[in-house]
Amino acid sequence: MSNEFEPLILAFCCNWCSYTGADLAGVSRLQYPANIRIIRVMCSGMVHPNLVVDALTKGADGVLICGCHIGDCHYLEGNKKAESRADAINLMLEDFGIEPERFRLEWISASEGPKFAKVMQEMTETIKQLGQSPFRKL
Amino acid sequence: MITLIINDKQIEVEEGTKILEAAQRSGIKIPTLCSHKALSPYGACRLCLVEITKGNQTWTASSCTYPAEEGLVIKTHSQRVIKARRILLELLLTRYPDSIEIQKLAKEMGITKLRLKPKDMSCILCGLCVRMCNERMGISAMGFINRGANRMVSPPFGKQSDICHLCGACVSICPTKRITIEDVSGAKRKPIPIPSKFDEELGSRSPIHIFYPQGVPSWPVIDHNSCVHLLKGKCGICEVVCQAKAIDYEQEEKKMDIDVGAVILAPGYDKFEPKIMGEYGYSQYQNVITSLQFERILSASGPYGGHLHRLSDDHEPKKIAWIQCVGSRDMNKGNSYCSSVCCTYAVKEAIIAKEHSAGGLDATIFFMDMRTFGKGFEEYYNRAKDEYGVRFVRSRVAQIKEVEETKNLILRYEDDKENKIKEEEFDMVVLSVGMIPKKGTKELAGRLGIELNEYGFCQTDEFAPVAARKEGIYVAGVFESPKDIPETVMQASGAAARVGGLLASARGTLITKKEYPPEIDVVGQEPRIGVFICHCGINIAGVVDVPSVVEYVKTLPDVIHAENKLYTCSSDTQQTIMERIKEHKLNRVVVAACTPRTHEPLFRNTIRQAGLNPYLFEMANIRDQCSWVHINEPEKATKKAKDLVRMAIAKARLLEPLYPNTIKVNQSALVIGGGLAGMQSALDLSAQGFQVHLVEKETELGGNLRKIQYLLGGGYPKQLLEGLIENVAQSKKINLYLNTFVSKVDGSLGNFTSTLNSGIEIEHGIIIVATGADEYTPTEYLYGRNERVVTQLELEEQLVNPKSKIENRKSVVMIQCIGSREPDRPYCSRICCSEAIKNALKLKEINPKHEVYVLYRDVRTYGFKEEYYRQAREAGVIFIRYKEDEKPEVCTQENGLIVKVKDLLLGQELLIDADLVVLSAGMVANPGNKDLAQLLKVPVNQNGFFLEAHIKLKPIDFATDGIYMAGLAHCPKDVSESISQASGAAGRAATVLSKDELEIEAALSFVVDANCDGCAYCVDPCPYQAITLVEYEKDGVIKKTVKVDEAKCKGCGVCMATCPKKGIYVRHFKPEMLSAMVEAALQPVV
Amino acid sequence: MMAVKIAEEWLATCGGCEVTLLDVGEPLLDLLPKLEFVHIPVIMDHKYYGQTGEREKLEIPEADVGLISGSVRNEENRHIVEEMRKKCKTLITVGACATYGGIPGMNNIFTVDEITKLVYQDTPGTDEAQTPTQEIPALEERVYAVSEVVNVDIKLPGCPTTPELLVSALTCLLEGKEFKLTERSVCDECPTKREKKAVTTIKRPLESVEFTPGQPLSEVRCFMEQGFLCQGPATMSGCGGSEKVPRCIKAYMSCRGCFGPIREGANPMVDMMGALSSIGLNPREIMDRAVTFNRFIGAQGRLRPGMGGR
Repeated sequence: MSNEFEPLILAFCCNWCSYTGADLAGVSRLQYPANIRIIRVMCSGMVHPNLVVDALTKGADGVLICGCHIGDCHYLEGNKKAESRADAINLMLEDFGIEPERFRLEWISASEGPKFAKVMQEMTETIKQLGQSPFRKL
Repeated sequence: MITLIINDKQIEVEEGTKILEAAQRSGIKIPTLCSHKALSPYGACRLCLVEITKGNQTWTASSCTYPAEEGLVIKTHSQRVIKARRILLELLLTRYPDSIEIQKLAKEMGITKLRLKPKDMSCILCGLCVRMCNERMGISAMGFINRGANRMVSPPFGKQSDICHLCGACVSICPTKRITIEDVSGAKRKPIPIPSKFDEELGSRSPIHIFYPQGVPSWPVIDHNSCVHLLKGKCGICEVVCQAKAIDYEQEEKKMDIDVGAVILAPGYDKFEPKIMGEYGYSQYQNVITSLQFERILSASGPYGGHLHRLSDDHEPKKIAWIQCVGSRDMNKGNSYCSSVCCTYAVKEAIIAKEHSAGGLDATIFFMDMRTFGKGFEEYYNRAKDEYGVRFVRSRVAQIKEVEETKNLILRYEDDKENKIKEEEFDMVVLSVGMIPKKGTKELAGRLGIELNEYGFCQTDEFAPVAARKEGIYVAGVFESPKDIPETVMQASGAAARVGGLLASARGTLITKKEYPPEIDVVGQEPRIGVFICHCGINIAGVVDVPSVVEYVKTLPDVIHAENKLYTCSSDTQQTIMERIKEHKLNRVVVAACTPRTHEPLFRNTIRQAGLNPYLFEMANIRDQCSWVHINEPEKATKKAKDLVRMAIAKARLLEPLYPNTIKVNQSALVIGGGLAGMQSALDLSAQGFQVHLVEKETELGGNLRKIQYLLGGGYPKQLLEGLIENVAQSKKINLYLNTFVSKVDGSLGNFTSTLNSGIEIEHGIIIVATGADEYTPTEYLYGRNERVVTQLELEEQLVNPKSKIENRKSVVMIQCIGSREPDRPYCSRICCSEAIKNALKLKEINPKHEVYVLYRDVRTYGFKEEYYRQAREAGVIFIRYKEDEKPEVCTQENGLIVKVKDLLLGQELLIDADLVVLSAGMVANPGNKDLAQLLKVPVNQNGFFLEAHIKLKPIDFATDGIYMAGLAHCPKDVSESISQASGAAGRAATVLSKDELEIEAALSFVVDANCDGCAYCVDPCPYQAITLVEYEKDGVIKKTVKVDEAKCKGCGVCMATCPKKGIYVRHFKPEMLSAMVEAALQPVV
Repeated sequence: MMAVKIAEEWLATCGGCEVTLLDVGEPLLDLLPKLEFVHIPVIMDHKYYGQTGEREKLEIPEADVGLISGSVRNEENRHIVEEMRKKCKTLITVGACATYGGIPGMNNIFTVDEITKLVYQDTPGTDEAQTPTQEIPALEERVYAVSEVVNVDIKLPGCPTTPELLVSALTCLLEGKEFKLTERSVCDECPTKREKKAVTTIKRPLESVEFTPGQPLSEVRCFMEQGFLCQGPATMSGCGGSEKVPRCIKAYMSCRGCFGPIREGANPMVDMMGALSSIGLNPREIMDRAVTFNRFIGAQGRLRPGMGGR
């Protein structure tokens, strides 16, 4: 394999929309970089900021939280909670000296396979440009 | 069977198997360009050559043609083989340097430069196309010609073939993408794609296809009309390549007899076919499409991935026009009724199109009346105008012409502002097509002996909107009349409730319960994990190196057993999994295969059958989220698969057995409100055998129904009312509380306790809210100050009251939208247009010489009510449109009133002498809703109506389980619609009440006593109000903690992500589990 | 029974924790006969290099128990800590500074260069001077908690720590029992009333909490709910001692987090920011979040140069 930097990106995907959207990207054979590791959660509102900060300060090159579009949350408004926490996470990443681009909140519905692939493509490219996480252990 | 050795591995195959196939079957990869499972071996590319040793002889041969023999020793990657293969590849690459397929193989073999001068021959003479055409299609439209250096693929005599089927099989199989259909058939004959019906013929599909990608189960079907095998007995490739052996060409549709007690008809509808409207040029002009086609264009999973797309030139359109009422409200070429849904969907399409447009979009909707009458729709329409800048033009487009060069479209219409004929150019036109009865419904009706109405929809009665006119047959959806999603859902639940009543005695008699072995206690045991990794035929194994994943997994701690399976979901694998659990005393199982969304239930069931708790299972998605999306990166995909399995194992280690909780259900209902909806719900529930407590705040039943004298369709509500009251009184199952209201409600789904103001305490399992609404009391137009100004309800009373001397009122002016569609109350009250027309017709009936004027903004006689609008015009009722900002004026004059209104057609002010002015006052929410909402802890919308759980899909349910709504408490609606929803509420309630106990999800929130100290941060964020703060005493000190009401909790985990102290989590998604997955992901593969 | 030998040291600290020792009060009378202080610079003259400076190496007498207050700020602190570890069988950090970096830990938002520049050159009203290098121990690269330098057996948080906690730790040692801190938050012992968390603005600490004098705390509303940033939910409880009412709460001040995280590895800033944003507070309303939430716990990597902006 080449020595090009291969980022490790974690994506917390809600079961109802984004995880399903990721499956649809698969069913539609949409190709995106193999740098994403999906962790299934029931709702984007289930992801504690600690998980994101921990992942990024332990060496993940990027983290995504993906949920249903606002108004479509399976649990009424879990995604709104995720949204306000994301703002707090962004502030704290600044504190830890982590580039804000390393964390991203995205709304991807169950029918948006193409959007899933696109977001993952973009995220991988962004992280490749940023380079390795300052916290990544070699 | 024959035994041979490949790469030191002993392999057993049937006689006649070729070496290549034998190797592939045991997971050994040999490069090849010319072999295909469905075609005879040919040995053209020679890449598959292997070293064969038999006795003391060793030689090389192409493995695709060499049959396996007993005792052969094969090396697929020996020095000698690799050397030869490299030379072959270099030559192939020299022949066709641009082939991606060859480049890939060359890269793998480390070939970086070519020593010979590259040629541009393209065709590598693998012969796949020739064999495909000959062997599988049986046509032989092409073959090899010439010899040696001049050898090439060609149709006979070098001319284009007449016998070519244009099937495209040769193109699909060519490894270098060299051949085209034109090469074989000539440019004159072009293949005709099979249009995809789901994509509204915008895209194409293959004869074997999955109807639409989100479908579950996503099983392909074979189209009998285009499958070459079924039509001509040829091809059959799918049967050969399907490793699961799932293809069955013999399958036929089956006819079955089923004994049933009732039938619900929901055949749906067809869209109006706009071809017959020649003036719009549909099917003639490429850029004129239907609204359903436009839906597919907008869809993210549609043929253009959600990008705006113009069919003539694949460009993004910048200016789109929607034309409303195509096939609706049209006596000439379409149907006279209104299709009810098109105005709102056009508004929606325009908004979404604007959102999807990259460079800005000019959206114009041409309409006759904007009929956004549903709940929230008027507000949506306003947003389209004010926020999104969608242009609305009140005009019927006369004609569309295409500009030949640009394929743009010129619309000819009368401009409503300037009152003159205009022509305007658009990039694209969307025809908002209406709904027509589904093809075949007439025959269906004939067979079942039910009546259809004049338009071909099911005939129902105003007071029985979900019943066909035959005992035991019910109806739901558009088959009854054109309607949108929420109304369809309401009606469908209503139909279910009626059937539930009819078949109450048979409920549950066909249910069989599945038995499971006693559960193995795993608490305290060290994890013993079994991992099963799926090949999914070639779906996974074609990309991911499955055997290496298995080997890797075996090195991970706590993994006791790991194996690969061709199909983990097959029934024999379920057997294997169960055996392995017993054999290795496994206490956790991980399957790496497809998606847990579809397959987790299967595997959970399997391990449960082996005595394990079903929650001791975890899945790694290495197909949908790995092999399928990294087809060209096998190494990376394999690494990712290892990571994903390691993450799943990390979670599996921490899994705990869980048990779904049950809650006992009190099988009785509380219905709040004794109007039409409340009574109907109560009666439907009692018919199904449930006890009902019906609470009405007034001294008598009936509510608004008492004020309605007659219906548009001719029904007499008084009869209905008397019948309902009589039935309520007769029912032994209904406890009626008049002059009573609810003062306190405790508990949740299945177990509510309510206190009435009389002090009576009621226990019940569900609640139906049917608190009705009121007519708006106008402050406009001298109402209350002049007795000649009345509301429609007051007029209605006068019309049936002989003392009212209504016949003396020679000139009556009705003014619409009083208190509706105003800044204070932006919603449309939905029924006022029909009510005005109903009373106008009555006035004309009493005396055709009565002058009746209706001053309106939009006439919203949706569905079949359009017919009465037509009748009213025919009877001489005069309709005059006024604008929101140019309202009519009403003044007193001697012996009457004078109404001033600007006629928009004439552009002049009209003065109308009126004996009576009738205000079509809108509907306002019951002012008591707010208090009740607080009691029930449920929301109301900004207009004071109750807010449903989901505006489209759950129009009857509150977000809180076990509470439902019906009738005007939800939003304005007419008598039939109220009855539908009331029955629907009873149907929804029955899903709870029909059970002694409810099984609730096991993976819900759980309070960790050791960590929670009741800081209460989680209480408010909980979307279901499932968490309450409680105090308790410990060592003489008051302590605090929180309590989760499992009947309300849905396991979303908002509490868990809020808690600053790990005091609460969702079972099966504990923070430790998620952290373990994160850590496993970060740990590099060794 | 032979008296237990105790060595006490103070590093970068204010001496408040030493006062706590005196503050133990009556129980000290029971305890003292069982203890023998062999080294305690705050009250007993004992020179590291011998009374005449005759030794070459810093030395502290052997002891059964070592108590250390203060964080490791300079090289001398480090040497002392290392020596204490060598000489004491059981090592106890006393107070927030020794345990988590404490108030000196706030230094960690600056590099050493920035700090010396600030102190010796940029402070208004002070004459510019060279950063001294002679006769004083060099500063460490950052402020460390003692446990980052050597292994610590018992950690007593608090600024200062509480007499009860100190006594309880010593008593446990004397009686051979295990000493354990709670893993619960300040809210556990906080008697205030909780109604609804939704807070949209943060009040400044100099505004006063709403209460009527004489009103029992159990009737006063949770200070956070009143709009005062309270770190109680992410701070270890125990400061109230046997009275079981958190110290600051008793004084009508919200918790500032001196007892540190509830459990090892927790990150109070992340937990608090998460919880506050979940109840609808715009996280940008919280001023100076890094230092606010890490005021007493800046060592162990929680505060880093650049945090809190410059």
